[in-house]
Amino acid sequence: MNPALVQAEIAQLIQTLGAIGTPLQALLPAAAVLLVALAAVPAWRPLLGPAVAASAFMLLLGEIVLAWFHWRLYDLAVVMSPDTGRIVGRVAVPLWVESEKLYVWALALALMAVLIRRHRQELLPGVAVILAVLMAGAAIWGKPFTEPLPSFLGQYLGYLQAMGSGDPARMFGAYQGMEGARQFYYNTIYMWVHPPALFFAYATFAISFIATLIMVRERHSAFETTAYRWARLGYLPLTAGMLLGFPWAIIAWQGESWWWSGKVNMSIMMWVLYTALLHARLYLRRRGMWRWVATISIIAFLVLMLTYLATYIVPGAHSYL
Amino acid sequence: MTDPVRHKNWDFALTVITVALLGTLGVQSFIGTVYVWWAATAIPGFEVSGYGRFVWWMNAIAAPQVIALVVAMGLCVPKRLFGRTALVVVSGAMIAVGLGAWALTGSFGNGLAVYLALAALIQAVVVVMTVAGARGPSYLTEGRLVKTGSGLLHQGFIGFAFVVVALQRSAFMLPAFWIATALTLLGTLLAFYADRFAWRKTVRVEVDRSFADEPQG
Repeated sequence: MNPALVQAEIAQLIQTLGAIGTPLQALLPAAAVLLVALAAVPAWRPLLGPAVAASAFMLLLGEIVLAWFHWRLYDLAVVMSPDTGRIVGRVAVPLWVESEKLYVWALALALMAVLIRRHRQELLPGVAVILAVLMAGAAIWGKPFTEPLPSFLGQYLGYLQAMGSGDPARMFGAYQGMEGARQFYYNTIYMWVHPPALFFAYATFAISFIATLIMVRERHSAFETTAYRWARLGYLPLTAGMLLGFPWAIIAWQGESWWWSGKVNMSIMMWVLYTALLHARLYLRRRGMWRWVATISIIAFLVLMLTYLATYIVPGAHSYL
Repeated sequence: MTDPVRHKNWDFALTVITVALLGTLGVQSFIGTVYVWWAATAIPGFEVSGYGRFVWWMNAIAAPQVIALVVAMGLCVPKRLFGRTALVVVSGAMIAVGLGAWALTGSFGNGLAVYLALAALIQAVVVVMTVAGARGPSYLTEGRLVKTGSGLLHQGFIGFAFVVVALQRSAFMLPAFWIATALTLLGTLLAFYADRFAWRKTVRVEVDRSFADEPQG
């Protein structure tokens, strides 16, 4: 492995991704504005379905470009032991970390919005507004095409520089950090299952939230049934994703007080609220129970958003601060 | 047999208690998160000097809630098999055995583990009886597959609680965890989508209604 050569090839790859992805990234906020406009003006709503489908297609196209970028990066991002000079492995960076999180969430929601059948006309305006927020957020804060994977690339390029420095202490320190990240973070099965499961769940809960708001407005149980169907679809991957995090957390955060860290707290709270929602709706036939169900559903979604934001705001394990 | 109306009220009361406990734990989590957020910026060196104390307080506040939740879950399990009077006796006996284990070993965790093990045992009987189609277990839901799903997912949650309480440093932790996870996910799948897996399809008639028609008050 020649560190300088790898560094140059990665720089070339980032440049190519930027060249291909910049127009796509610029289209994201434009599409977001269009979606909000179509959702806001009732006369334009017949165009909302095709606009959502076009957004889904655009996001999917971008995801294919990102997948290609990750595949090329996997080829380049080798980790070599300074002791033996042997390559110990490659870094498989998942497609839903760092700059790509909001993008993947938007993609999941867009694909689901295309698939909505029951109460489609009623749900689409609200779902389109949430999709617009996610797409704009992906372009403004994520920037997956122009500023890809800042944390990983920062660490990996630092590792390459250390490996090229010839200083054994620096080389060994950088190798330990990179190999630890490779084994316990990027390449773990957990990182390939937990985030996509949660983004799938988040997308279904967004649709469930919109159905709940319509239930409150219309005061009709049919919308509660729709909200429930989307919530139950998300509850399974949410539970699976969170449960699978448990054995990983015990190993990866050994010695850290992760149990009460902000993100874990909020995640538990979110799961608890969706569990409470699915229990409470069993008694929907009771007088006034729909108000409780609606309240829990709305709070649960607000907590979901706070849970996502907690990663960037609250310090502790599972924090990117 | 128990009066079905009473049984439903008992079910409702336990559901309300469970939801309320889940809610209070959620509120505690939220307050804890906001506190850490504030403390990290307002208290210099909080992560080094103050975080340990914060964790201690969070554990101390959560412990009675978690115990109450475990007891509520413990009550939920035998409620499917026993009438109300027998339920009180069985639940009281489970708590007594748990307390006895605590007193004998001097470890609260052991007491909780014994209590959860008893709950898991009863739940296993409930699941077997449900799968066999026995009339005994009572559920809020209809259909054997849905009931089996509900039984399995509760078995999975009890198993997961047992892993957290008793097996975190054991060689059995991972196998027990995977079994609990599989039961939970299979149970959730069956409880939510039983109609897709059912051998004999039944058409469930959903009666849509307006909430505006409900009497006020």
